[in-house]
Amino acid sequence: MAPYTNIPLSPAELSYLHTSLAQDPPIRPDGRSPTQFRPLVAETDILPSANGSARICFADGTEAVVGVKAEVERTGRKGGLVRGKEDGEVEGEERGEDGWLDVSIEIPGTRDDDALPVFLAAMLTEALLADGELKGRLVIGRVWHWRLFVDILLLSQPLSYPLPLLSLTTHLALLSTRLPALISQKDEDPLFNDDWEASTHLFPRQPTTNEPETKPPITLLVMTVGTNILFDPSSDEIAVADAIVAISATEDSKDGGLKMVALRTVDPPSRLTSAGVPTQANTTAGGGLSAEETLKLREKDAGATVWRPPRGGVSRTVLGRMIKKVVEKGGVGEEVLEGLRGVKS
Amino acid sequence: MAMLADRRRMNAPPGGTSPPVFASLPEAKLTKPIRTRNPDEHRKIFLRTGVVPSASGSAYYEISPSNTPRQTLVPSSSSLKITCTVHGPRPLPRNAAFSSNLLLTTHVKFAPFATRQRRGYVRDSSERDLGVHLETALRGVVIGDRWPKSGCEVVITVLEGEEDGWWADAEEGGKAGSWGMMNVLAGCITVASAAIADAGVDCVDLVSGGVAALTAERNGEGVLDPCPSEHDIKAACVVGYLQSRDEVTEMWMKGDAGSGSEALIDNAVKAAVLTRTVLAEAVKEATEMKIGKTSEAAVETTNTGKGKTKDIQMTG
Repeated sequence: MAPYTNIPLSPAELSYLHTSLAQDPPIRPDGRSPTQFRPLVAETDILPSANGSARICFADGTEAVVGVKAEVERTGRKGGLVRGKEDGEVEGEERGEDGWLDVSIEIPGTRDDDALPVFLAAMLTEALLADGELKGRLVIGRVWHWRLFVDILLLSQPLSYPLPLLSLTTHLALLSTRLPALISQKDEDPLFNDDWEASTHLFPRQPTTNEPETKPPITLLVMTVGTNILFDPSSDEIAVADAIVAISATEDSKDGGLKMVALRTVDPPSRLTSAGVPTQANTTAGGGLSAEETLKLREKDAGATVWRPPRGGVSRTVLGRMIKKVVEKGGVGEEVLEGLRGVKS
Repeated sequence: MAMLADRRRMNAPPGGTSPPVFASLPEAKLTKPIRTRNPDEHRKIFLRTGVVPSASGSAYYEISPSNTPRQTLVPSSSSLKITCTVHGPRPLPRNAAFSSNLLLTTHVKFAPFATRQRRGYVRDSSERDLGVHLETALRGVVIGDRWPKSGCEVVITVLEGEEDGWWADAEEGGKAGSWGMMNVLAGCITVASAAIADAGVDCVDLVSGGVAALTAERNGEGVLDPCPSEHDIKAACVVGYLQSRDEVTEMWMKGDAGSGSEALIDNAVKAAVLTRTVLAEAVKEATEMKIGKTSEAAVETTNTGKGKTKDIQMTG
């Protein structure tokens, strides 16, 4: 087992996995098609004391709970230059601030300042804030605003990279989030209706169909092996990935399709796996090569006969294809959103 | 996320202080700085390797500040200054588990005085996030399997950070969007690449960082190397680009690019290609100087020591 990666696979197993995933069409260990997701169980509105909540359980046993809580906060004086009227009144409509959204992630076995939760939280936050629509809805008046806490709890061990799980759960939780209805005037000290039935959805719904008009973004994990693009990779598949990319997409209000709002490359753990040794270079199997010859063999082999951790990055054309597969009409992104639409509280 | 407070030092008040508000003189008309460069022009970069003698590799990166005359005490735009030191490759401690690859760790820290609002001594989440990005960019270039059982630390100190917007914008004190972080990341990738080359760690190529943005002004035109105080940025993209392999080891894109994402990526790669010319020149210069030094030293020994001629032939 390669340490520092938690990949319990030998070089031979990695090589086998890589070869089968690089086939055309790829053969995945669990028999899925490249764009197929693992089955999941989802429910929303499960926490009575939160404004919105959701739980998703993947088939491999990973499970996450997200609770969204909202608090009223006084809008502080912002820095910068005082322009407009004397009393510091800023003209035009009030726009939200990035700091009003607080995403925190708890993963068992990691400290909250470890790289993984910080990276995941930053990725989810930037996707949610990308179009500025969500933070605009947190404005109550000039003086008061909502502060939204999105607390994400991974209940199980992070078996595979937990990003899609956390993102989909956050998506459902935010969709079910309701804020109490305001009965005072905008700039007064806020007073809310205590009738939960009268509360409004954070993502407003159409009164007739009860379908949300806009939706929070989803973040999908996409990996490549050779020229193949695979969605929702399991932990075994990630172990041999050439490159992993997290793509956030949201519904485009203009044409109803999807648009990409954020993209990040993720460091694949395959780079830390140990390389296999070709038979000729194996000293115990009778191969007696000099150090120079061994080096030459290793460099020339380049993963052709034995496993070698991938080097370099991913080409731009492959990246472009990945983005297209997520956002195109009838692509994976739309399929996932359609699937999540069926979740009822 | 609960921030760990640093208990060893006298800390600033935890609630934070409000950034200064400047009352503008009636005659001083403050205007947002305007980009004077062409859209496809990069700011000038200064890059030098070997600045820290005690580290095995180091580099210093600076973007030249704008030389427009100032009307106020506050500079209208920031310039980026980054130092990077590389320690290693060196053996892992005895109690560490066996690793068949080089273990690369990255550490990005803003100096407390680097930005308008003071940064603490403990790294905050945005700095950790930058560290992860940088690690992703470098892991792909370093040939890790040639350095088993060793570790290598890349430590970056940002002496002057890029601002996230124009300081006088009322919106979050010009901090909206945190676009400055993307420029900082591109600088970090370039400077770390130079320092790693200086440390002599085997790499597949030199990785260079580039930023491009889509701006709201001028019909959403794409610009290379955006200075956040000069633009109203809609979307931005950073790449860590390997020119000789035409590959991307790190990409970070955010914002509403719409259908222009492909063009945005291409622009970022263009910026990275521009940075690479400086990077390659700096590395070449440093190598020539090293070779020059050794041959000079060799010449000196010829003059002083008579019996050492054979040694010189071996080194030369």
